[in-house]
Amino acid sequence: MKTNNLNAGNTNCKDAGLAYAEPGVINKIFLLATLMFSLGLLSSQNALAQRIGQEIMEKVYHNPSGDDMQGDLTMTLINRQGERRVRELRQYIKDDGEVEKRIMFFLSPADVKGTSFMNWSYTDGSDDDQWIYLPALKRIRRISSDGKSDYFMGSDFTYDDLGERHPDEDNHELTGEETIDGRECWVVESTPKESDYMYSKTVTWVMKDNLLGLKREFYDERGRHLKTLQIKDYDQIDGFWTILETEMKNVQREHTTNMKFTNISINQGLADRMFTERSMMQGI
Amino acid sequence: MENGITVNTNIMLKKFIFISFITAIFTVPSYTQFGDELRIGGYARNYTGVLTSEGGELSILQNTLNINLSKRGDNIAFRVNPYFYQYFDNEPEIGLREAYLDIYFDNIDLRVGRQQIIWGKADGVFITDVVSPKDMREFLLPDFEEIRMGVTSVKANYYFGMNTVEAVWAPVFTATKMPGEGSIWRPEMDFPVPPQFDHSLSDVKPSVENSEIFLRYSLMSPSADLEFVGGYFWYDDPALHMERELDPATGNITGLTVSPQYHRVSMAGGSFSKPVGRFVLRGEGGYYSGRYFQTTDPAVPDAVVKKNYLHYMAGIDFTIGGVNLSSQFIQEYILDYDAHIQNDEFETTMTFMANKDFFREKLRLELFAYTGFNNEDALIRPKITWDFADAFEVLGGANIFIGEEGRFGQYSDNDMVYIKLKYSF
Repeated sequence: MKTNNLNAGNTNCKDAGLAYAEPGVINKIFLLATLMFSLGLLSSQNALAQRIGQEIMEKVYHNPSGDDMQGDLTMTLINRQGERRVRELRQYIKDDGEVEKRIMFFLSPADVKGTSFMNWSYTDGSDDDQWIYLPALKRIRRISSDGKSDYFMGSDFTYDDLGERHPDEDNHELTGEETIDGRECWVVESTPKESDYMYSKTVTWVMKDNLLGLKREFYDERGRHLKTLQIKDYDQIDGFWTILETEMKNVQREHTTNMKFTNISINQGLADRMFTERSMMQGI
Repeated sequence: MENGITVNTNIMLKKFIFISFITAIFTVPSYTQFGDELRIGGYARNYTGVLTSEGGELSILQNTLNINLSKRGDNIAFRVNPYFYQYFDNEPEIGLREAYLDIYFDNIDLRVGRQQIIWGKADGVFITDVVSPKDMREFLLPDFEEIRMGVTSVKANYYFGMNTVEAVWAPVFTATKMPGEGSIWRPEMDFPVPPQFDHSLSDVKPSVENSEIFLRYSLMSPSADLEFVGGYFWYDDPALHMERELDPATGNITGLTVSPQYHRVSMAGGSFSKPVGRFVLRGEGGYYSGRYFQTTDPAVPDAVVKKNYLHYMAGIDFTIGGVNLSSQFIQEYILDYDAHIQNDEFETTMTFMANKDFFREKLRLELFAYTGFNNEDALIRPKITWDFADAFEVLGGANIFIGEEGRFGQYSDNDMVYIKLKYSF
């Protein structure tokens, strides 16, 4: 069911008060005034839609997710022939409101086992800090966070897709409401403020009752549909709404990545020492 | 004498290490358990290389089994890394790259045993990376994990915030492993007459007096990563002390005895890496006090002089169009130089690296090159890696040596192509 409520209310413009003008001229002026009035209304409607869109995405961003989280992630890469490759890792996340620290320990396949990756992202919009530990080199290496558009471990998720994008980085607009599988959603279109961002826009279906994004479509730089992210499973864990399974499908390359989160625990008082040189090198 | 040691101190040292080890084990909190199951990993690999010179002679045919065994509890862990090499033209080789015990306290980790310890930020060169000795039997061609040998030592790490202080005590000196007689990787050595080698002074016997100490402080921070290091140790490469026999009538050299000896050196240095926009800048430098160099000065009877020495690097990493790029400028500088020293006063090297992944990281193209400016020589290493299936990779590559002399040019007859098949488990 689609109930776009943003196109109504712009036909209320019959009496424009232009009695002394020639009928032909009056018609032209009337048309022009009608057009301007409609544009004004449209403009104010758009502003309203943008304001609501911004508010929804801010609520999504600030949706309580706990101060820390830990869990296992199983990532299955499925190509167009249906062949599967599986990657497993354990991740720990801690967010103090200013910095979100994330550390991932790679468990499989065997050739990447022992590798750890740490990312610190900042709410003030500063560039992320990233480090990687390769057990063969026995050294932690600082890496540039410039590669946010790079795909993570050969999956359909970019590094940027895995993080939380701050709502101020995009312009948002509520474009409608939809019900998907019985869940009522707002549909919000987001266009990046940054001109050379990897996506020209994203469209997100946000569930009204828990403010989780149920589905998101990503459009490439030419405006073509590139990927669709769908939440397959979610639940309340330790009192917080948590995504348990998600699937990203690249519709252009017919490649899919399924992510399953297990053994999740939230707000267990994760210590800062988890996000250090010691932790990266020791592994789990 | 630097190498001197008595049998009694040797026994005392062994007792000391044993007592330290036992004390460490018994100071572990009583609740310590090896709760985790034994983890087994590693790889099996075939490595076949062919010289591109006429005839296509096999330069290497090596089968490798590398095993990692580890077990970990809350406060204690151990790891053993045995390896086995089988060659077509040499005796099989079996060894332990690492074998150590870890003990974890609240803010301190203790690691006792044979271990690889890697320092610094430079790629492909060793500036402040002085703790683990090197296996140079195949020059710089093996994986760095195989070039760096384990060192028998006690390592203590103290952590506070994002800071780490590391102290290493190594009672057993391990020298660089050099290519054997007849190896195509044996460095060129010019002697006026065929020498006799005298290895009677080459041993550095394990003792407290002969032990090595290293210290490191490191900081990981959002603005930059820093490392300051220092050490008092034996330089891993020998100085070749020479004794000449001269014909009294002509003054010509009629005999030469070469005595390889190891000497103490002190080193202090540091390194950093700092992200700047889309770039990561790296730097590393080390000051060595009392390194020995070969000299042709007739006034120096044993043909070696002791000098101070600087070794430093500036590097940059960045990405363009999905291609990871990296370059390093490296320079070695002998202070208080005199013209008879065989090495140049300044020796400049640059490295270049480019790599890119394709097909969801199944295929990787990589190029790494060293360029020596003093002798206009280079080593160019293109390679292609295909992840045929998870944990199974096929790697094809080439090692191309450019120039006639110098660190890389001396191997100009050793151009090779190779293939490696590797299965990790």
